[in-house]
Amino acid sequence: MGNHQLTSLIKMANQIAANNTHIGNETEEATMVANHLRKFWARSMKQQITDYLIEGGEELSPIAKKAVAEL
Amino acid sequence: MLQYFDPDKDYGTPAQLSENMITLEINGVSITVPEGTSVLRAAAQADINIPKLCASDNLEAFGSCRVCAVEIEGRRGTPASCTTPVETGMKVTTQNKRLGKLRRNIMELYISDHPLDCLTCPANGNCELQDVVGAVGLREVRYGLEGSSVETRTHLDAEKDHSNPYFSFDPSKCIACSRCVRACGEVQGTFALTIDGRGFDSTIAPGQNQPFLDSECVSCGACVQACPTSTLMEKSVIEMGQPEHSIVTTCAYCGVGCQFKAEMKGAEVVRMVPYKDGQANHGHSCVKGRFAFGYATHEDRITKPMIRDSIDQPWQEVSWEEALSFAASKLKGLQQRYGRESIGGITSSRCTNEETYLVQKLIRAAFGNNNTDTCARVCHSPTGYGLKTTLGESAGTQTFDSVMYADAVMVIGANPTDAHPVFGSLLKKRLRQGAKLIVADPRRIDLVKSPHVETNHHLTLRPGSNVAFINAMTHVVITEGLEDKTFIANRCEESAYQAWREFISEERHSPENTESITGIPAEELRGAARLYAGAKNAAIYYGLGVTEHSQGSSMVMGIANLALATGNIGREGVGVNPLRGQNNVQGSCDMGSFPHELPGYQHVSDDQIRGRFESVWGVKLDNEPGLRIPNMFDAALDGTYKGMYVQGEDIAQSDPNTNHVQAALRSLECLIVQDIFLNETAKFAHVFLPGASFLEKDGTFTNAERRINRVRKVMPPLSGKQDWEVTQALSNSLGYEMNYNHPSEIMDEIAQLTPTFASVSYERLEEMGSIQWPCNDETPDGMPIMHVESFPIGKGHFAITEYVATEERSTRRFPLLLTTGRILSQYNVGAQTRRTENQVWHDEDVLELHPVDAEDRGLQDGDWVGITSRAGGTVMRAKLSDRMQPGVVYTTFHHPGSGANVVTTDNSDWATNCPEYKVTAVQAVKVSEPSEWQQRYNEFNNQQQGLLKQRRRNKAAARD
Repeated sequence: MGNHQLTSLIKMANQIAANNTHIGNETEEATMVANHLRKFWARSMKQQITDYLIEGGEELSPIAKKAVAEL
Repeated sequence: MLQYFDPDKDYGTPAQLSENMITLEINGVSITVPEGTSVLRAAAQADINIPKLCASDNLEAFGSCRVCAVEIEGRRGTPASCTTPVETGMKVTTQNKRLGKLRRNIMELYISDHPLDCLTCPANGNCELQDVVGAVGLREVRYGLEGSSVETRTHLDAEKDHSNPYFSFDPSKCIACSRCVRACGEVQGTFALTIDGRGFDSTIAPGQNQPFLDSECVSCGACVQACPTSTLMEKSVIEMGQPEHSIVTTCAYCGVGCQFKAEMKGAEVVRMVPYKDGQANHGHSCVKGRFAFGYATHEDRITKPMIRDSIDQPWQEVSWEEALSFAASKLKGLQQRYGRESIGGITSSRCTNEETYLVQKLIRAAFGNNNTDTCARVCHSPTGYGLKTTLGESAGTQTFDSVMYADAVMVIGANPTDAHPVFGSLLKKRLRQGAKLIVADPRRIDLVKSPHVETNHHLTLRPGSNVAFINAMTHVVITEGLEDKTFIANRCEESAYQAWREFISEERHSPENTESITGIPAEELRGAARLYAGAKNAAIYYGLGVTEHSQGSSMVMGIANLALATGNIGREGVGVNPLRGQNNVQGSCDMGSFPHELPGYQHVSDDQIRGRFESVWGVKLDNEPGLRIPNMFDAALDGTYKGMYVQGEDIAQSDPNTNHVQAALRSLECLIVQDIFLNETAKFAHVFLPGASFLEKDGTFTNAERRINRVRKVMPPLSGKQDWEVTQALSNSLGYEMNYNHPSEIMDEIAQLTPTFASVSYERLEEMGSIQWPCNDETPDGMPIMHVESFPIGKGHFAITEYVATEERSTRRFPLLLTTGRILSQYNVGAQTRRTENQVWHDEDVLELHPVDAEDRGLQDGDWVGITSRAGGTVMRAKLSDRMQPGVVYTTFHHPGSGANVVTTDNSDWATNCPEYKVTAVQAVKVSEPSEWQQRYNEFNNQQQGLLKQRRRNKAAARD
C-alpha cells in the first residue's frame, strides 16, 4: 500500500470529523462521521483507513478514530 | 383571430403580462390583447403587419422613425402605433392614402442619405430597411442623391470600424434608429453605445467615440442583432453571404443554456443567432455563444483515432475498430492483472445527458465498478450535497426569469456578468427596475458598480471565511426576530430547527464577534441581513466562490438555512440558485456521474434501486461507492489504479495541484482520452478517440435551472461518430452490448430508470421546447419553481454549520491569498475559446493584485511576477487593480502554459472533496524568467506536439 492515498484519507477523515463536532456527544458525532464514510467512500478507501486504525491510527482525531472503528 | 406565437416574427414591442384584456378594432377586425399592449403589437398578433423601423419586440417602444403611424378614430394626427397603447373600443386604420403618402415621404428622407448598393450589400436578402422601402412603395428620391433637385449633405462616405473581430460597423448604412443603443442598454445592460451629436450630425458612438474594440463593448452581439440594416453586421455574413437554413440548438458554453438558431449554408455555420423562444435566454447571448464557435472547425481538430503504447512514442493513426479493440484489450488486461477496481472513468460536463449517462453506464456495467466521477467534483459537488441535505434535491430552486420578481438579490461568490453573462444581463435589468443588491465577494466585481447598477452592500469578505459570514447573517436574522415564523412552523423540521436555532443564536456568531474573521464591518453585515430578511422576495445566487472551499458544503447548507429561516423558498422571486459552470454540469450530475449515485441521485447501496438498474442493464452492479477524482489520482500514484477513460474533460489543466495530477496521469498504464483536441490530458494518453463538438451531435443539455434543452446536429461529425456512438462501440468491444440507434432511445432508458425524468422524451421536448425536471406523472410539464408546497424530503432541514477555519492561511512565507476564476471572453480551460478570435480580449492569464501589494514588491503593471505556494510555482504578468483588496490576488486558468493550478493545493471540501481553488496562500515576487514548471511544461508540450506531428508525417509517408 502506498502513502499517497492513506495520507489523503487521514486528512479527509479528520476533516469530516472536525465538521461534525457540533452535537456535543462524541458517540453520536462518530456515528455521523461513520455514516458519511459508508455513504461516500469507496470500498478500498474504507479498507485502508480501517487497516490504518488497526495499526494504531495515530494521526486520526478521536472522533475520526471512533468513526472508523464503527465501519 | 390569429393568436399563436411565432418566435421568428418581430411583433414590434414587448409582450405584456397583464391579465386585463382589452378589445379594439384594427381595420375592422376585432382584436383582444392584454392591457398595455401597443397598437403595433396588437395588429401584428392579428397578422396585420404595420411597417416599422425603430421598433423591435425585445426593446421598449421608442417612436422615432414614425413609419408605423396609424389613424385612430376620434384622435388628431397620425400617432405612432408602437408608442400608443390599446384602449377599449379603439378603432384603428393602418393603411389609407394619407398614411401611405406619409410613409413614402419618411422613407424617401431615409433613402436620401443611404447608399444604393443593395445588390452588393451584406444585408441583401435580410434587410428591414429594404423591406420597408418595398412595403411603402417608394419609387423616387428627390433629395440628396446625385442629380437630385436639392443639394444635401450625406453620411455616405463615413468611415467603417472593423476593430471588433466578429462584426463590422459601417456608419454610412446607419439610419439612426437607436435600436443598437437601446439593445446595449435595455437588453445587455452595458450602455456602451450612445447617439453622439445632434440633428443631422447624430451618429452611433461606442464608448467615448472610440473604435468598438477599445470601448466598454462586451461583444454580446445584441446591437448586431437589433440593427435593421447592414450597419452592424457579422463579418461571417459579410464573407459568406446570407444563410439558407437554420436549426435551433443549445449553446455548449456556460450553465445558462442559451438557445441559438444555427444559421447555415450547407453544413457550414454562417452565424449563431440567439433564439427568441429560448426559454433561458429569450433571444439574448454573450460573446462566447454568439461568436466563438469557430473552434469547431479549427485546424487543431483531431478527427482520426490514434493509439500508442507509451507516451514517449509518436501517435499512430488507426481505424475505429483497431483503436477500440486496442483500448478494450488494455482495459481488460489491467483488470485481470490488478483487479476489477483498478480502472474507472470521467464523464463530461460538456457532452450531452445521453452521452454522460452512457459513460457512467459503461463504467458501472462494463467495467463492473463505480469508479465514475465528473467535473462537478471540482465545481458544484458541494451544491449537490448541501442542497440535498437541506432542501432534499441537488439543484437550484428557480427559473432564471424568477429574478424579475425579486426585491432583493444577494450574489455570493459569483460574477454573473463575466461567467453567466446572459443571466447577468437579466439580473441587471431587474436591478435597474429597483431591486436591491447585496454582493458578497472579496473582489469588486462589475455588479458592485456599473452603469445604472450600484450594490447596496458590498461585503468584502476574506477568502476562506464564508461560513463565518453566512452564520453571522442568519444570526442577525434570528436574534433580531426577522425570521418567517409561519414558514418555519409549517415547512421545516421542528427539532432540527430548534437545535440549529440554539446553535446560531450563540453570541460567538454575531457580526461583531466574527468581524475579525470575515473582515466585514459588523454594521455593514447587519444592514445586509436586514435588507435580505426584510425584502418581500429575496433571492440568493451563488457560484464557485461558495463551493470551492474546504467548507463548501457547509456554506451551501448555510445559504439554504438563511433562505429557509426567512421563508424565501417556493415561489417566484426567491430561492437558492447555484450558477452552474459548464453547459451540462447539472445534467452530468443528474445522469449519475458521481461514484455513489446512480442517475437521479439514487444511492448505489439501495438494493431496490440498484435492482431496477440491474434488471434493465442485465448485469450485477457494485453496491459500494467508487473513487472520486482526487482519490483516483492518489490510487494511481499508489499503483492500485491503472486505467482511465476520460470523455471531454481536461483534468491535467483544470484540476488543482498540477504536479500531483500529472504525476498520477503518468503512472497510468492505459489512459483513453476522448476529446475534440489534443488537450493537456491527452498528452498523457495512450488512446485518443476523436470527439464531436456540440454542432455535430443530437442530444440534450440541462442548464442551471434544471431545464432540459435539445441539442441538434447541424453538421456531420468530423470523425464520423458522435460521442455516444464512440462510447457504445467501446462498450461493445469490451463485450457489454449496447445497441442504441439514436440518443432519443437513450433518453427513453433514462426516463425509465430516473423518477425525476419519468415523463421526459424527445417528443415532449419538441412539443414544449424545453422541460425543467422533475417531469413525471405528478408534474407532467416539469417544475419551474421547486418546493412550492413541500420538499422532496417532506420538511426543510436546518443543518448546523460550524465554522472551521481552513488549514490554508496566509503566513510570513506565503502572505497573500490567491483566488482563481474566469473571465467573460474565455471559458474554463480555454480549449474552445483559445481557438477563436476571443483571444483578442485575453491572450494570457495575468495576476491581478492591489497597487499596495504591488508597491510592496516593487511590481509595476506588466512585470513578470513569480507566484509560489506550498504546492508549486509559476510566473505570469502582473496587473495592478484596485478591484482587489490588499492581501488578496486573483488569476484565471484559461491558458495551460500559465500554470495557475500548479499553485493551487490539494485542500478540499470536507464532504465532497471539491478543491479549495478559492484560497491558496502564496507569495508573489518580481522575476525575470518563466518558472521551472513552465520550462518543463514547454519541453513536454513541444515533445508531445512533435509526437503528434510525426503521426502526420507517418501518414504522408504511408500515402506515398
